[in-house]
Amino acid sequence: MIHDSIIRDRLVTGDKTASDVTRDIARPILNNPSTAWKVGFTLSLIFLGIFGVSLLYTLFTGIGVWNINKSVMWGWDITNFVFWVGIGHAGTLISAVLLLFRQKWRMSINRSAEAMTIFAVICAAMFPVFHMGRVWVGYWALPLPNGFGSLWVNFNSPLLWDVFAISTYFSVSLLFWYIGLIPDIATIRDKVKSKLGKTMYGFLSMGWTGSTRTWARYELISLILAGLSTPLVLSVHTIVSTDFATSVVPGWHTTIFPPYFVAGAIFSGFGMVATLLVVARKVMNYENYITIGHLDAMTKIIMVTGTIVGIAYLTEFFIAWYSGNIYEQYAFTNRMFGPYWWAYWSMMTCNLIAPQVFWFRWARTTPWFIFIMSIVVNVGMWFERFVIIVTSLHRDYLPSSWVMYSGSLTEIGLFLGTFGIFFTCFFLFAKFLPVINMAEVKSILRNRE
Amino acid sequence: MSNNIKYWKGEDELNRNPQFLTAQKNEFHDDLPLDEVFNEDAIELQANRRDFLKYFGFSVTAVALAACQKTKIRHAVPYLVKPEDVTPGIANYYRSTCGACSAACGIEVKVREGRPIKVDGSVDSPISQGGTCAVGQASILSLYDNERLANPLSNGAEQTDWVAIDAEITNSLKKIAAANGKVVILSGSTHSPSTLKAIESFKTSFPTTEHVIYDAVSYSGILDANESDFGKRALPTYKFGSAKVIVSFGADFLGTWISPVEFSKGYAINRQPAVAGGMSKHIQFESAMSMTGTNADFRFPMRASQEVLYVATLYNYIAIAMGAKQIPVPQQGELAGNSIKKTAEALVKAKGTSLVISASNEVEVQKIVNGINMLLGNYGSTIDMVNHSNQYQGSDKKTAEVLAGLKSGAIAGVIFYNTNPVYNHNSKEWTEAIKKASLSVSFASSKDETAALCQYVCPDNHYLESWNDAEPRKGTYHFTQPTISNVFNTRQAQVSLLTWANALVAPAKDPFASKGIFSQKLQASPYYNFIRANWAATLGSDDAFNGVLEKGLYAVAADEGVASYTGNVEALASYVSANAKASGVDMVLYQGIGVRDGAYANNPWLQEMPDPVSKVCWDNYVAIPKAMAVKLDIAEGDTVNVKVGDVSYTNVPALIQPGQANETVAMALGYGRTHAGKVAGSVEKGFDTIGVNGYAFVNNTGNRSFVAKNVEITKGDDNYSLAQTQTHHSIEGRDIVRESTYAAWQKSPNAGNDKPATHIYTIWEKPEYRKDGSPNHLWAMAIDLNACTGCGSCIVSCSIENNVPVVGRDEIRLRREMHWIRIDRYYSFNSTEGVLTKDTEIEAADGKGNFDHWQNVNVLHQPMMCQHCSNAPCETVCPVLATTHSTEGLNQMTYNRCIGTKYCGNNCPYKVRRFNWFRFNDNDKFDFHFNNPLGKMVINPDVTVRTRGVMEKCSFCVQRIQEGKLKAKREGKSPNEVQVLTACQRACPSNAIVFGDLHNPESEVSKLHKNERGFTVLEEINVQSSVKYMTKIRNNDSI
Repeated sequence: MIHDSIIRDRLVTGDKTASDVTRDIARPILNNPSTAWKVGFTLSLIFLGIFGVSLLYTLFTGIGVWNINKSVMWGWDITNFVFWVGIGHAGTLISAVLLLFRQKWRMSINRSAEAMTIFAVICAAMFPVFHMGRVWVGYWALPLPNGFGSLWVNFNSPLLWDVFAISTYFSVSLLFWYIGLIPDIATIRDKVKSKLGKTMYGFLSMGWTGSTRTWARYELISLILAGLSTPLVLSVHTIVSTDFATSVVPGWHTTIFPPYFVAGAIFSGFGMVATLLVVARKVMNYENYITIGHLDAMTKIIMVTGTIVGIAYLTEFFIAWYSGNIYEQYAFTNRMFGPYWWAYWSMMTCNLIAPQVFWFRWARTTPWFIFIMSIVVNVGMWFERFVIIVTSLHRDYLPSSWVMYSGSLTEIGLFLGTFGIFFTCFFLFAKFLPVINMAEVKSILRNRE
Repeated sequence: MSNNIKYWKGEDELNRNPQFLTAQKNEFHDDLPLDEVFNEDAIELQANRRDFLKYFGFSVTAVALAACQKTKIRHAVPYLVKPEDVTPGIANYYRSTCGACSAACGIEVKVREGRPIKVDGSVDSPISQGGTCAVGQASILSLYDNERLANPLSNGAEQTDWVAIDAEITNSLKKIAAANGKVVILSGSTHSPSTLKAIESFKTSFPTTEHVIYDAVSYSGILDANESDFGKRALPTYKFGSAKVIVSFGADFLGTWISPVEFSKGYAINRQPAVAGGMSKHIQFESAMSMTGTNADFRFPMRASQEVLYVATLYNYIAIAMGAKQIPVPQQGELAGNSIKKTAEALVKAKGTSLVISASNEVEVQKIVNGINMLLGNYGSTIDMVNHSNQYQGSDKKTAEVLAGLKSGAIAGVIFYNTNPVYNHNSKEWTEAIKKASLSVSFASSKDETAALCQYVCPDNHYLESWNDAEPRKGTYHFTQPTISNVFNTRQAQVSLLTWANALVAPAKDPFASKGIFSQKLQASPYYNFIRANWAATLGSDDAFNGVLEKGLYAVAADEGVASYTGNVEALASYVSANAKASGVDMVLYQGIGVRDGAYANNPWLQEMPDPVSKVCWDNYVAIPKAMAVKLDIAEGDTVNVKVGDVSYTNVPALIQPGQANETVAMALGYGRTHAGKVAGSVEKGFDTIGVNGYAFVNNTGNRSFVAKNVEITKGDDNYSLAQTQTHHSIEGRDIVRESTYAAWQKSPNAGNDKPATHIYTIWEKPEYRKDGSPNHLWAMAIDLNACTGCGSCIVSCSIENNVPVVGRDEIRLRREMHWIRIDRYYSFNSTEGVLTKDTEIEAADGKGNFDHWQNVNVLHQPMMCQHCSNAPCETVCPVLATTHSTEGLNQMTYNRCIGTKYCGNNCPYKVRRFNWFRFNDNDKFDFHFNNPLGKMVINPDVTVRTRGVMEKCSFCVQRIQEGKLKAKREGKSPNEVQVLTACQRACPSNAIVFGDLHNPESEVSKLHKNERGFTVLEEINVQSSVKYMTKIRNNDSI
């Protein structure tokens, strides 16, 4: 039953037929890589190299090559961790929550958003793993039966909850993404010419035949996984926020953190999706699939979540004042007017004020502007984590231990390096897998929303 | 019958089947499959699943074994004959005397398996009274300093043979004697009767010898004044324990002045508000902010160059009140707020129980101070001139004569013993003078500035390797006994002197020496025999001598009476008038608490110990007052150029020091060593010198003046970041330290601590082990903020006890010191608008362009270590349970479980957790004692050396707790009799730290936890800290 409304724009423009879709989307996979791809991929590999060098230096010398100190024991590392985990939120939200809400416009962006999620979670995982002083015994954080006597993990520790939350999120997201890929991989399998390609895609397609029975199972499993993923969207960042919320540090010890972190995560996740898709639709000629309508919808979400985050900031302040707790009050005044005022005001500008431009239709429909804004959003969200972590720790209870902290070259290298990991993965993904879900898009060619 | 019963295995055997019988002869029923095994082709084909697994297992094991590195071979050589007094794992304690400075504190040396590993005060010593200073604590590391001279030096070259060197030196000495030339032994203050006897013996052989005493930081002013006023060139014994009003002009008597441990112990008694006779009042006049000044009830900034005027003014006020003659001077020097007049009133009120002291090296100042104390009747009560102190005896005049004599050639030979004038006197002139001597010998244990210029260096033993005695106070004798045999080929200086003088007592035949038995071998040392002979008259028998050694102390009854005073203060009028004017900027050259006069500058523990006031480590700097900083546009991190006469330094780090008097600056001595070693700097070995040498500014004419006048200060063109362990200095109005005044305390003992108790709601029940009447221990601590002076002895003691690594200047700049205990120091400023405790308030006050509040400073010292919280925030957040709570209330750290997430450190509200950012041992980047085998000898074997990547913190000295518990158990004592002293508590020279069991109602800590003054820091966050602090009571209601 296809409704064709004249009031709404088509979800896919350009009067595409099903075979157009396959041709357009499989093109980069079947052809040789473009120059743009090669340049981008090389750049990504350079950044990956920076990551490798920084990481090896850290591992061989000690965490001391970072600038964290006796009071600020988490700095860029955990800032980056929360930043990347946040980015990893949009994918699942788009594919799972929007699927459940039957938002069909998600179909042309969910694949890349999910891929982004997976790569972002990989980047995020680097930090909690390598920020450990003794990473070689890091597996002790897993509840593994062992021969060390009665040693066990501490289920009271939010860090342990993180371990579960993130590994669950990662595995479910990976599974969801991969299952969604199977029909498309089968299409590529049928198109690809090389023997190696046929073997690889054949293996990955897991014997997909396209029969009604497989489609029925596919639909069912997608729905089940969507149901499983939906709570995860909320749980991951809720649990990440408890790393801070359950502590006694003024500025961390806040019950508002779970919803505020989740909103912030969706905000930054959509920011990153927007960054990638504005570029990808242009470079890969997918403007008919990823339409202005998509950008419009995403910017609206950015604006809403940005405003939620902004209200959370203001609420925190109100509560700090209202609590009558001098340590809380100082922590928040210090954020605004202390030595890290620039980080705080960058955060406020980028996260609360800047997204308000999306009230204007022009702002929501102009790709280059959206691209700039999406960068602004992620800069702001990085600063948010920096503000929460560093400005809370650098001046807590006893003024005798107040310190300043700024990242070392190695820490900056690791952060830039994670972009290397992220984009290397993303470029490989864009080259070897269909970035748009062909099978699903074919079902909405005539749809209007 | 039974023998006939026959069993068979089967029918074949019963029937004796021939085939069976043949087969029975073969051991193996089937042939061994050797062919198959040795036929390589067949293996692959015939290997079945089980064989495959065997091959697989074998190869994996073989590969794994082959991949294993050859393990380092470590030798553990057992004793062939177990020495009587060494039991592995059990420490021995020997009484001895600290040789770190000439105050000569009685100490107790902890020896494990033949290695001395800790020095603490001896409770029997009237000098140390059980306490130690940071320098004394750290001095043990100098024993294991691999930069000490391993052999004597002859003209710069190492000689392993003492006999050859002795022959050369003896020849030289004889030649000089033949020519009737003069020899000088220039030594630091020496009050050891046996050493003096040895020098006398040397003089007998070489009668042209003169013994001159020179102190790097001179007390000549007091000594000369006493010589003229009392006819006795000696320091008096000051009894701070009897003084109720203490007035100090620039004397840092709790930190560096004469005998700081002794004075701290005495001072602490009367700082208790509950003490009989009332709490003492401490008034400090000074230019630089000294540690003692931070403890004063009233502290008045003054210009050091005008001290004589202020002292004379004080004299005159007192003279008026007492009806005595005044010093006839036209000027009446008075400081802001009539502080001198009020001080005089307070002193007169407390006459007989007051004490006035001055650190000045001007004889005239000291004479007036003597006059003041005489007027007040303090001699005989707070000052004992009869049983005087021998701790410092140096004469600036005679030292100058030695220098002149050497330069003119009148002195042909010079022997430096325990002194380093090339570094701490006039460097240039001494360098030339030593070159002119026909014989120059140094007893320095390392090639220091002076030794580097001497023909011979005959390295002295470390005091822990030596036999010695000491007489720090007349009639009070301390003994030194070796606790280890010589680490290097060194020889005690006294033995060298006696050898050259050919006056050595022949060693007695020791029946045990050949058996290699430790103690007997040492007793046979020649100097032991010399000392025994010297004490033969009073301590002739072995029992008597050994008894004294065991106690470390021999005391004769104190003499009664009062020394007769012949001083004439009025005669000083013209001097006072002439010196009353000040011009330009004064610079006070003071000893830092850590490296003091510089002799121990190469000790990394002392360099890493933050200055108690500025919290700067690893550098000296010019402390400037805020007003001057504003005038010269100097901010934090800037440098200054300093010029006095023709001596100047450029780009010296500057520090804006609250409390520094306007128009004065200050610089610590003891830095700028050029021949110290890898820590403090060495030109020879290519290590950067730390800081600049302040002795260059000391005026060496007459009595050496440690106050430089007309100092030119300009802004430097460089930046320098000082390594500070604390960078925020105000308390921000927080309820972290509570304080009140004595008057308020007298009204109500919980003054300042009377805030309503925080309402704590909890759904959890108190754990069983915390409940009263529970059978276990419950360890806790109490710290008296009135007693704590901030001296930092506990920091060094803790580092030694707990193997805390030294991290160096760069790591401290990154705020990564590893100390388990620190002393938080907060300033608050007194201004016309009240007490300023917040940075914003201070900035607002600064904005008015008047910086007087920077001169009027209150200081708080708060020792801070792990609080062993009952609801420890660190424990809940560790993902691997590496930090847990014990049933004795200890917050424990399991290093080998720690994975290093550092979450515990973030969640610690007291920020006392320390992370091992690097591997601090065996790492060339941290080339301190943990990086060489000799330095590692000081490691406490009871405490793990932490590896890279783990968190660490104060354990309440759990190893000592364990030792105490085991000891009590072994001796069948009840748990309440368990004696545990933590390392910080043991070292504290003012008894500020008390540790014990809260479940023992009789313990001191239990009583203190119930004291009205007790509060816990950050009580409101309900972490239930185990450390109670006693509210600071200041006696500053009125002078």
